[in-house]
Amino acid sequence: MSKYIYLTCTPEALVASMLPPEGFGMYLSTGTKKRNKGQVIFFEVDLSKIENLIDMDSLNKRCVAKEDGSPKSSVYLSVYRVLETIPVSALKSLYLTADNGCILELKKADYNKSQEPQNALHLYQELCPVTPLVASGLPPSVFLKRLTDGSTSIVLPKLFFVELKLGELSTNPLNGSAEQIPYSNVGHLRDCLEILKGEYEKHMKTVQRVFSGLLLYRTIETGFYVGAKEEIAFYPYPTMSELENINYEFFRAI
Amino acid sequence: MLSLPGATPFEVIGLWIVLLIAFLGLAYALFLRKQVLAYDKGTEKMQDVWNGIRLGANAYLKRQLKTIVPLILVFTIILFLSVYVVPPSDEAKLRFAGYPDQTLKLIMGFGRAIAFVMGSVFSLMVGQFGMRMAVQANVRVASASRRSFGEALKIAYRAGTVTGMLTDGLGLLGGTAIFLIFGVASPDTLLGFGFGGTLLALFMRVGGGIYTKAADVGADLVGKVEAGLPEDDERNAAVIADLVGDNVGDCAGMAADIFESYEVTIVSTLILGVALFTHTHELSWIIFPLMVRGIGVFSSVIGTYLVKVNKNSESHNALSAINKGFYSSAAISVILFGIVSHFYLHDWRSFLSVVVGIILAISLDEITKRFTDGKFRPVREIAKNSKTGSATLLLKGLSYGFEAAVWQTLVIALTIFASIMIYHGMPVTYVLYGVAMTGIGMLTLTGNNVAMDAFGPIADNANGIGELSHLDKESRKIMDALDATGNTTKAITKGVAIGSAVIAAVSLFGSFITDVSKVQIQAGLDQAASLLGTGIRISVPMIFVGFLIGGVIPWLFSSLTINAVTRAAAQIVDEVRRQFRIPGVLEWKVKPDYQNAVDICTKSAQRELIPLALIGVLSPICVGALLGVEALGGFLAGVILSGQMLAVFMSTSGGAWDNAKKTIEDGLYGGKGSEAHKAAVVGDTVGDPLKDTAGPALNPMIKVINMVSLLCAPVLVVYQMPGQSQAGMITSGFFCIAIIVGSIMFSKRGGFKKQPFES
Repeated sequence: MSKYIYLTCTPEALVASMLPPEGFGMYLSTGTKKRNKGQVIFFEVDLSKIENLIDMDSLNKRCVAKEDGSPKSSVYLSVYRVLETIPVSALKSLYLTADNGCILELKKADYNKSQEPQNALHLYQELCPVTPLVASGLPPSVFLKRLTDGSTSIVLPKLFFVELKLGELSTNPLNGSAEQIPYSNVGHLRDCLEILKGEYEKHMKTVQRVFSGLLLYRTIETGFYVGAKEEIAFYPYPTMSELENINYEFFRAI
Repeated sequence: MLSLPGATPFEVIGLWIVLLIAFLGLAYALFLRKQVLAYDKGTEKMQDVWNGIRLGANAYLKRQLKTIVPLILVFTIILFLSVYVVPPSDEAKLRFAGYPDQTLKLIMGFGRAIAFVMGSVFSLMVGQFGMRMAVQANVRVASASRRSFGEALKIAYRAGTVTGMLTDGLGLLGGTAIFLIFGVASPDTLLGFGFGGTLLALFMRVGGGIYTKAADVGADLVGKVEAGLPEDDERNAAVIADLVGDNVGDCAGMAADIFESYEVTIVSTLILGVALFTHTHELSWIIFPLMVRGIGVFSSVIGTYLVKVNKNSESHNALSAINKGFYSSAAISVILFGIVSHFYLHDWRSFLSVVVGIILAISLDEITKRFTDGKFRPVREIAKNSKTGSATLLLKGLSYGFEAAVWQTLVIALTIFASIMIYHGMPVTYVLYGVAMTGIGMLTLTGNNVAMDAFGPIADNANGIGELSHLDKESRKIMDALDATGNTTKAITKGVAIGSAVIAAVSLFGSFITDVSKVQIQAGLDQAASLLGTGIRISVPMIFVGFLIGGVIPWLFSSLTINAVTRAAAQIVDEVRRQFRIPGVLEWKVKPDYQNAVDICTKSAQRELIPLALIGVLSPICVGALLGVEALGGFLAGVILSGQMLAVFMSTSGGAWDNAKKTIEDGLYGGKGSEAHKAAVVGDTVGDPLKDTAGPALNPMIKVINMVSLLCAPVLVVYQMPGQSQAGMITSGFFCIAIIVGSIMFSKRGGFKKQPFES
């Protein structure tokens, strides 16, 4: 049986498993005896690129089939400052699971910085290592760079985040329709966006300090971003009609 | 025996043709059944899931029979003996002239008892055969979805049509056969036929409603909300009970309910027709309604057969195909009604009443659709209110439920007003006959309506089988589309069921007044002093008391049914939680014991039947015995008014909350998991027992009460005439009160023993 290494992001942990991504996602989201439930977001990690970072002997000893021959579901290798130690190049596909264990694979794609909208407002849900919901006037690549390059007092070694939909609020925070915006306290969100629009010196505003643990997959705008400074890996998220064709089970589950 | 004194050859041939059409309807049902059963049942896994549903359904049906059969026997004896309390009518003496008094009593006693058994058995057959057909069809629909949308739709709709044509065929057969045998004396026996169907419908509706929602709410609360499992997850111990419940509630319960309205409208029309026949000596008052019914069955056969889409159709629009069949049937019916009216009646008033009935059915469809379909504003607004939490969502749903009750009541009022206009200047019996004909018209397309309704659980179950047997994406898309259409057709037919129940009840109310007056005049009262002469004056305090008591009965009934669902759902919650704790269940290693949940639902549903049936049967006797027959009239008015509004309100609110949730699940306001969705789930859970248990249970309850009143009215009149001792009446009234109080206590506690507060 093969061994897989996963980087789970909610919460952050490096886990070895004998389950393939679909099985691992199902295991984490619906659980077994622990009766877990809830969505999970994780990367598959290229083991060959991190062999020097983990204790391979320990891994080989612990990640073995169970007595009854069934595969080992999880062996936790690390639960602290994991993302910052894993090179972006070692990250393979990103997997999203719904509450019921349905899984969606997102493949890494080339990111074209020149096509980023310049005058729109954005909403970013940071997922790892910190988890605030942040409104910003900066496009994704600039936002990532600003938080990781040390140019501000708050610096992160690496960041994994997702861009969420703002609808009309991205251009008209005060009067734009918030009809389809499902976030709680839309009034506060409007205030934050309005501040960002008016003050050219201010680029980010925290909308919510802590992530609720539930990402509404239907609210994802462009996709997921991970990286630091100039290095960025982009995982584009399909539109709902594309998703219906690509992965109907997942589409029904969200 | 089969002679109709005074009938023209055309009328005799016409009646035989109607009887033939009834057999044609039944033969068509058999033909469709054979067609459906010829399809394959899919893979081993699909058949494995299906077997669970089949066994659960069989267990329910078996237990239901065990509960119902003794009651049928008791009522058969009571109805046979009733002729010894109230002698046969003048029409019976006319029809069987020459027979000695004792023989006549025996003929009418047996006639009424056999008609009661026939009504009960027919109702039972519609429910039981219809449900078995639905169970046979669902796995075949799931299997066909792997091939094409057209094939899956054809199987699902045709299986539903089997139930529809059984309803049509048996209803027409019963009414026509009784009329052919008893002629103008048929109202005496038809009451037994109607009562049999009504009582069974009450059992099936109440039992089905409690079963389906106990399983649904219980399965959802633990499976979906607590454990985060998807709908129809095989690890959920209540999943099979939930799938069985869809058949029990929406197929067996609804079919028996509509069958009952179908029977009751013909019973009341024939009673009023006989009353008009005694004045005018024209048999057409009695024969035309039967002809209309025959035409309806014939047009349903054609219309339902037209429902199909191209085998390779890319579009998954099942509703337009179903609507095509419905409107084709409606058009054929109206044309044939016109021809018969022109060449047979030479009078357009009855024709107009029937057309008003068809318009009423379409209007009620539209109102229900406007308030419960996700495409329209009310559901959209309810969904929008989910953004501010469950409280505002619930309030919005309540508000629209109340509004729907206003519109539906106004439409029904307008229909009755139309009858007044059509028979303007004529005595009240003609107007009441016009109302009854409206009911006949409304239920013309019963075959189509029941087919549409039964299509819902078949598609729903097929989707469940697809989910549990992990069918491919394309098949799932097909079944999702069919399921969504089934939800719409179910909601629409609920509106028709309530409307038809009210019109049937109003017709029965008319028959009650006519019958009471007839007995009063026979007993020596003046025409002017009879109920038809005085009317039911609400300003008389005793009648107003009856009116108030009648008004609260639907509330009592709803309270008890919702309470029963809550209690049974809590038991299911405990059971599913218990099974989740069994090692291996959540890891797919151990199969849950589905039978336990099925047993809990079956037992809970059957336990509630007797007390609720007793309340329905005894409350009119109690009011009539203690307050008098006029107050009983007020009581009936109260039951109809309050019951109709409450039923519409509950069905609409529940349906709207359900669809608001579905709209959000389709992607509005963040979709599943969002705060809006959580609020919508609360609304849906609250609405579930309202729309599928308490609301639908009121339809047969209204009719049972009216039917019992009709049956006991002659006894009340005879024994309450001046000079008669009232001791017997008062004693029986208080005896009924004691039983009703006992039933309420039994129902509230869930048994004779007091249940612990916490389970």
